[in-house]
Amino acid sequence: MDTAVLEKPEAKADEVAKAAPDFPQTQEFVTPKISRMEMLKLFYKPEGTLRLTIERNPEGWENFSYPTVKLYQAAPLSSPGRYIVLHDGKGEEITMSDHIDQFSPDSRAIAEDEIRRRYLTAKIQSVTSIKVEFGITYWTVLTDKGERDFVVQSLTESCIWLSDRHLLIIDVDGNRFEILDRFILDETSRTNLALVL
Amino acid sequence: MTVQERDQAAQDERPQIPSTNGVAGNSDADNEILISEIADIVPEDGHIFGKREVRVTRKSVSVFDASGVQLLTVPMLEIKSARTESLVGGSRLELTTTSGIMPIAEFTASVAPRFSEMARGIEQLAKGEDFAIKLAYEKTRCEKCGRLLPEKDGRCPACVKRLTVLKRIFGYMGPYRKAAILSLTATSLTAISSTFLTPYLTRYITDSVLTNAGSRTMAENLPRLTFAIGGMLFALLLGVCLQFLRSSNSIYMSSNIAKDLRASVYRALEHLQLSFYDKKQLGAIISRVTQDTDRVWGFLVDGLPYLVSMPLTLIGGLGAGLFLSWKLTLAILLPVPFVALVTTTIWKPLSQRYHRVGAKWGRLHTQLNESLNGIRVVKAFVQEKGEWSKFETRNNDLAEAGMTADKFWIRAENTVGLLVGLGPLINWGYGGYLMLTGEITLGTVMAMQILLWQVYGPLQWFGQLNNWFSRAMAGAERIFEVIDAQPEGYDKKDAVVMPNMRGDVTFDNVRFGYDKSNPVLKGIDLDVKAGEMIGLVGKSGAGKSTTINLLCRFYESDAGSLKVDGVDVKDIALEDLRRHIGIVLQEPFLFNGTIADNIRYGKPDATLEDVMEAARAACCHDFIVAKPDGYDTQVGEKGGKLSGGEKQRVSIARAILHNPRILILDEATSSVDVETEKKIQVAIGNLTKGRTTFAIAHRLSTLRNADRLVVIDKGKIAEVGTHEELIAQKGIFYSLVETQKQTSKAIAEARSDIAIEEEG
Repeated sequence: MDTAVLEKPEAKADEVAKAAPDFPQTQEFVTPKISRMEMLKLFYKPEGTLRLTIERNPEGWENFSYPTVKLYQAAPLSSPGRYIVLHDGKGEEITMSDHIDQFSPDSRAIAEDEIRRRYLTAKIQSVTSIKVEFGITYWTVLTDKGERDFVVQSLTESCIWLSDRHLLIIDVDGNRFEILDRFILDETSRTNLALVL
Repeated sequence: MTVQERDQAAQDERPQIPSTNGVAGNSDADNEILISEIADIVPEDGHIFGKREVRVTRKSVSVFDASGVQLLTVPMLEIKSARTESLVGGSRLELTTTSGIMPIAEFTASVAPRFSEMARGIEQLAKGEDFAIKLAYEKTRCEKCGRLLPEKDGRCPACVKRLTVLKRIFGYMGPYRKAAILSLTATSLTAISSTFLTPYLTRYITDSVLTNAGSRTMAENLPRLTFAIGGMLFALLLGVCLQFLRSSNSIYMSSNIAKDLRASVYRALEHLQLSFYDKKQLGAIISRVTQDTDRVWGFLVDGLPYLVSMPLTLIGGLGAGLFLSWKLTLAILLPVPFVALVTTTIWKPLSQRYHRVGAKWGRLHTQLNESLNGIRVVKAFVQEKGEWSKFETRNNDLAEAGMTADKFWIRAENTVGLLVGLGPLINWGYGGYLMLTGEITLGTVMAMQILLWQVYGPLQWFGQLNNWFSRAMAGAERIFEVIDAQPEGYDKKDAVVMPNMRGDVTFDNVRFGYDKSNPVLKGIDLDVKAGEMIGLVGKSGAGKSTTINLLCRFYESDAGSLKVDGVDVKDIALEDLRRHIGIVLQEPFLFNGTIADNIRYGKPDATLEDVMEAARAACCHDFIVAKPDGYDTQVGEKGGKLSGGEKQRVSIARAILHNPRILILDEATSSVDVETEKKIQVAIGNLTKGRTTFAIAHRLSTLRNADRLVVIDKGKIAEVGTHEELIAQKGIFYSLVETQKQTSKAIAEARSDIAIEEEG
């Protein structure tokens, strides 16, 4: 995405005023056009609170800061790392980046960190065991976040095939586990999976 | 240490986690730990699974790592508010402090509801309010076997003994005791006749009639032959009669038990809380009534007779064999342990494969249900190929799963067949040897051959019995899960009976969330007088429909109280409460049947005159009588043969006849055209007279008649007042009205532009 227009600028005026004093303030309210994603500077301040400043550009308008920003992936399962949407404190879209690579290196690192903070879905690396008893499935898996035991009440309802190889599993508590590609799992994992799915 | 042991240990340890600042057990009330929770995600190192403890005292909120080292402390005085931020697959506890938002802990959905309560407690402490939260420790693992429980505080299915399930199925035999006794007697007699009568007659005909027949005269041989054949005929007729007696009684019994099971499941489904339906797909629920009861039926028809006859036949066969020749009997029985071993070994993988087939059936069933229910949409968007492709994939998956399971079964069956086939070989080999040594006669070998099949026959079916048994037990478990699930409190013993109701409604700090970690209503306070009309206004997702759901007690509030005529809705007899509440929904649901049946749905004993009176009040009498079949018109499935406006007016007539004290109009006019809306407005005007009414409408102009408008925003009441008052207040309601005006204006302008262009 090369160009995006910030909509409803008046709604953001008060937010801008609340921006941290040691960060660039808007002097004159204009509707900034984001011609390059590198203009976006994502940062945490204070720690854990994501902010955004749209930096001064040659067209003459001043820095523009959002004190509260939320970062989403528009399609986290089918297109992770793509279509990164930034929302302001009121839940309205600031802009969308087609790809995380479009951010500057510093902002990209922050965006990646924020994705890790928001998307806690564990990626299954191997399926140690799956036991089916009385229609309930007991799983022991190794994920990118560590080992985990979980229970799936109904395989039909809780194991969602996103493609022939991509699987999303939701346990009885609502925790999410993803198998990105079942064909690249080790043989034991594939055999365990094939027994139930 | 396994994950399971580690989690268990974590659970056990929780209350004793060491205190680094020495506050645990401190008598100082300010430093007393009020809440302590374990967050199971460590934010550092890529948000991995781990342990962080969050402790709340009156003075502060602190975070400790797994070894008890204090990582962070936030003084209560600096905290403005606390909340759990919903993330994908978990949540984060955040505190808003004087210096900004501060993330405190991350955790999975497993513990999120507890942190949500913690956030509420922190907020109460920060605001100096009374500390009142509901925190109950729920079991996540079975105390007996350590397995994770399918539901918190639920039953461990592994520790529910199969025998118990079987006993429970047998419990359904109660009304059919006579048939059961007859069937059991017939089965026992069949086993005796087949193990004793037939082999002994075979031995007799071989040894006493056919062997050495040439050394006797025809006059001597003929009576012997006649006796043997007569005996065999008697055995045959006895067998057929017993078989008939057994089969007819077992079919009668099992069909009735299956019928009773289906009825029990359906009755339980009707009384289940709506939250059960929120979590499950309809297709899967329907399959519990159909497929699972069928599995139990299959077991009762085929499996149970075998379960009874097999041991009898085995014992009888063994006794008869030992009597004929104990040596040969023991030799013949040599493969039996191997047969038992194979059938036991294959049981688990076989059952897993059939579970997989069940899951694939479920997927196909859901897909079929969905595509046929949405057939109009499928056709309208020309998606027949897409739906076909989905169906084909699932159909192929099912076929593949079925083939895999059946192949496995065939392999196992053949292995068992091979082992069983060794029996006759041993009989002819060893039996022949014993005969040649003169120890036994040819008749004994022939009798043993017959006996062999009597004994090995049931053993061959042993694997099948396992199959029936495991499938039936899995089905029965699912059935009993529904039957045992927490029903709505219809039969609450101390429920307040309210034959009459005024219709005063009071919400007092009502809080509720479908997902307990994500509250939708965050403290609703509202007093509604009987007969008052309240318009509920707010953005989508603000909590309007949720408020109504609580009033109908489709869900129960998590905190606070909701009273009708001064009695908490949780204490009112559910039937009474709902009898006094009428609902008109945005998309009215009509049942397949006549218009009259649908109008009298809430009052089945209403006369046709009553029905017509209600229909007149709902402005639908005219269009109904104009139809060829009038009130006898079949409305079709979900009322599909009526238009949207017609269905809506029929549903209003239904509500009028129901004559509720409290009326709920949920977007009742939003799906119809302006002309129809006028008629519906008149109908609604007739309906609301003298009733406490809660009306939800996006078209704010339709709420002009409301006595008060209540604006709900982000789960709280933001504004209350009349239409005029709220307009003058220039708050949320005002801006909603203005937005709608602008939208209507834009639409009108666009229409007039189109009209001008068309005219031009």
